[in-house]
Amino acid sequence: MKILVTAKRVEDPESKIKVKADGSGIVQEGLKYKMNPFDEIAVEEGLRLTAKHGGEVVVVSIGPKDVQEQLRHALAMGAARAVWVNHPGPLDPMGAAGLLQKVVEKEKPDLCILGKQSIDDDQGQTGQYLAEWLGWSQGTFASKLDSLESEAEKAKAPAIELSADGKTLQVVREVDSGLATLACSLPAVVTTDLRLNQPRYASLPGIMKAKNKPIEELTPAGLGVDVGLQVEVLRMSPPPPRKAGVKVGDVQELFQKLKNEAKVL
Amino acid sequence: MSAPRANVLLDDRTVEFILYEMLDAEALCNLPDFGEHNRHTFDLFLTSARTLARRVLFPNYRTIDAAPPVLRDGRVYVHPLLKTAWPQLVDLGLISATRGPEVGGAQLPLLVASLASAYLMAGNLSAYGFIGLTSGAAHLLEAFGSTELKARFMAPLYAGEWTGTMALTEPHAGSSLGDIRTRATPTRAGHHLIRGEKVFISAAAHDLAPNVVQMVLARADGAPAGSHGVSLFAVPNRREEDGTLVDNDVAVSGLVHKIGWRGLPSCVLRFGERDDCHGWLVGEPNRGLGQMFQMMNEARIMVGLNGVATASVAYQEALGYARERTQGRLQSQRDPESPQVPLLAHADVRRMLLRQKAIVEGGLALLASTARLADLAAHATDAEERQRAKLLLDLLTPVAKSFPAEAGFESTVLALQVHGGYGYSSEYLPEAFLRDSKLNSLHEGTTGIQGLDLLGRKAVAGGGAALHALSDEVSRTLARARACELDPTWAEQLAEALAELVETTTALAARGAAGDVDSMLAHSHDYLTLFGLVAVGWQWLTMACVAQEALRRGGKDEAQAFYRGKLAAAQYWAVTELPRVAGLAALCRSAEGSFSRLEPDWL
Ligand SMILES: Cc1cc2nc3c(=O)[nH]c(=O)nc-3n(C[C@H](O)[C@H](O)[C@H](O)COP(=O)(O)OP(=O)(O)OC[C@H]3O[C@@H](n4cnc5c(N)ncnc54)[C@H](O)[C@@H]3O)c2cc1C
Repeated sequence: MKILVTAKRVEDPESKIKVKADGSGIVQEGLKYKMNPFDEIAVEEGLRLTAKHGGEVVVVSIGPKDVQEQLRHALAMGAARAVWVNHPGPLDPMGAAGLLQKVVEKEKPDLCILGKQSIDDDQGQTGQYLAEWLGWSQGTFASKLDSLESEAEKAKAPAIELSADGKTLQVVREVDSGLATLACSLPAVVTTDLRLNQPRYASLPGIMKAKNKPIEELTPAGLGVDVGLQVEVLRMSPPPPRKAGVKVGDVQELFQKLKNEAKVL
Repeated sequence: MSAPRANVLLDDRTVEFILYEMLDAEALCNLPDFGEHNRHTFDLFLTSARTLARRVLFPNYRTIDAAPPVLRDGRVYVHPLLKTAWPQLVDLGLISATRGPEVGGAQLPLLVASLASAYLMAGNLSAYGFIGLTSGAAHLLEAFGSTELKARFMAPLYAGEWTGTMALTEPHAGSSLGDIRTRATPTRAGHHLIRGEKVFISAAAHDLAPNVVQMVLARADGAPAGSHGVSLFAVPNRREEDGTLVDNDVAVSGLVHKIGWRGLPSCVLRFGERDDCHGWLVGEPNRGLGQMFQMMNEARIMVGLNGVATASVAYQEALGYARERTQGRLQSQRDPESPQVPLLAHADVRRMLLRQKAIVEGGLALLASTARLADLAAHATDAEERQRAKLLLDLLTPVAKSFPAEAGFESTVLALQVHGGYGYSSEYLPEAFLRDSKLNSLHEGTTGIQGLDLLGRKAVAGGGAALHALSDEVSRTLARARACELDPTWAEQLAEALAELVETTTALAARGAAGDVDSMLAHSHDYLTLFGLVAVGWQWLTMACVAQEALRRGGKDEAQAFYRGKLAAAQYWAVTELPRVAGLAALCRSAEGSFSRLEPDWL
């Protein structure tokens, strides 16, 4: 089974993120970057599936040269090789899906696993576009009820499971009212939710092995994709600071306020 | 209380600063042995270690502390949460990280491995302890074991399949290992039969792995008395016979009920109750102590790191608390209707926090510098550089062990103090850090023993050659400080302190050479303290230079705040700690006899 997974480079949420004074973007200086956490989950799920069914995980990232760091991270976790689409400019979900579509057509995987969204822009669209344009079935927000790390959970069937004939994939997904189970025919696109698994840590032997794994460089032009933006960011602004709260004198006053001002009762 | 904040254990930016801006870890990659590494491999590994520490180890710390291992029917059971964490810890690859590819290691510089380990120690000392002990035992076998012993014992240890111990201490012989009594009788089959009792042996029995290999100090039949009759043996809890593991007559007769490190069992052991305990000689007969001591630098660096790591997690806890908890108003604010200010607004609270920062980061820098010396001593291409690094390493090791043990403990006390009365309650964490921290002044040679080692041996050996080398290093930092226009008084303070250290050492060495060893060593503890103040002063002045040079290059506000914090701590050390050196030096030279000439019945 060949699985293509994505590893987007995003700002590390632990570094302090500030919007530029002119609102044109965020201040880059001093920022740290990491692999999008949803993508880390995608890599982990890919590794678990290939460990069980054989095959290999190929990891893709789009961006400037720096994204090789995230590719190496995925390789250190255990992916077999990497594809780097060299595109230093801005990108929207359609652009990303367009590039991924071409990579998929080239690589011909049985399954693509993407994060359900990336934590920088929180768009949550790339996987769906990709599936639609490829004409593949899709299972989005693949999840588990509980953390996989609990013993009880491990004993249960995994969230993503391949049928005996290898032709369909059963995907448990998170929906508003609970969990839904889908059967997707392969090839398919799956996007991962937060509770799907607990990604492994890159081990030292894994890190050393990753150094010699190949990273293939592609370009949008070479793939024949015009990544013109469909969505343009006009301005960024930080969320307004929270206003100070008020102290209510008694329960009666609280009740009145909830009813008349907040209108929640 | 507001939502719980996450304790970061160690400040990532400071780790980065020490590694790359202060100690140029990337330059180590130019050495052929470290040629496979680069900043990226370092950073990925640090990320893995800190993530595991924050996600898995620290969240379980309190639960594991509350329920120590139990001994039932001769078997020891650790906390179940440790069993979940253990495979993840092993998978990181830390056990063989610094070893070469010939034993399956990754030849990671000790400098990087140490900083990565510090996160794990800060997250949960006990969990890390199993890794550290296993690594140490395997390294001993690698250095001194025969090919056969390596295959039988070292390989499964490095692979993390089994774990290891250091079994030295006996009820009547702790500091004085030359007095151990455990016996080893040779057999025709090649192994020895071991008989004796050991106490305090950490991780000697547990249910994390199917077997434990103990590195046991014992006296072979007919060996001379004292330290020259002590040999080293590998003694597994279960030995292999016809392809299966059978009981090797190592019995756990009790567990020590400890105030800290409560996840890790410390065992009372009886070897050979049925006269069926097989042990295999490691290295040369009667050389056991010497062999053990060759591994001592690394073991002591590890204990120093334990001290810094616990002080760091305690400092981070106190810092978070001081930002959240409000209390009172500034002296200048008279309006009782004005809101209360955070603890951090009070100058005295800031004093306690800055002192912790100075101890934690100064100690971490000292350990990182010492670990880097260990890397150079073993892997530099130039023989002279290796020799010089070894000289400095041997000198600094007792300081790098004792400063974090003593000052680190004080730092955890301050973390408790910042918490006020809540710190005295077991609902909050500082009391646990305090308990964990205390061990560092006791094992791997008590502080008393370190002082004797430093003054009686390391500082005076070879005509004080090591101290000369250190003086050269410090002088270079002094010149750098003058060049980058730091407040000149900081460098002056360090220069004076260094001069006191050198003069005192010369005077005491002369006294020792003249045969008056008692008065030379009477104040060895004060000497050790003094040395620590100077060594950490040197680290802080170096860090101040790096920070000052960065500030002069300019940069955004946040970077400025980071570097200003370094300057503040450097200033603090220069003005509050370095001036203490003169007093301690005078005390050492005076050989004042209040306690050394005290008669026992005066107490
Ligand atoms: C939690 C824990 C874990 C441990 N783990 C291990 C382990 O895994 N393996 C192992 O072998 N041991 C272990 N130990 C034992 C530890 O190494 C010893 O406790 C230590 O070496 C001190 O020995 P002692 O306890 O017998 O104290 P003593 O040697 O009796 O010392 C008592 C006091 O006297 C002082 N003193 C002793 N001799 C001198 C001297 N010559 N000059 C000046 N002062 C002196 C000491 O500094 C100390 O203050 C552990 C201990 C603890 C508490």
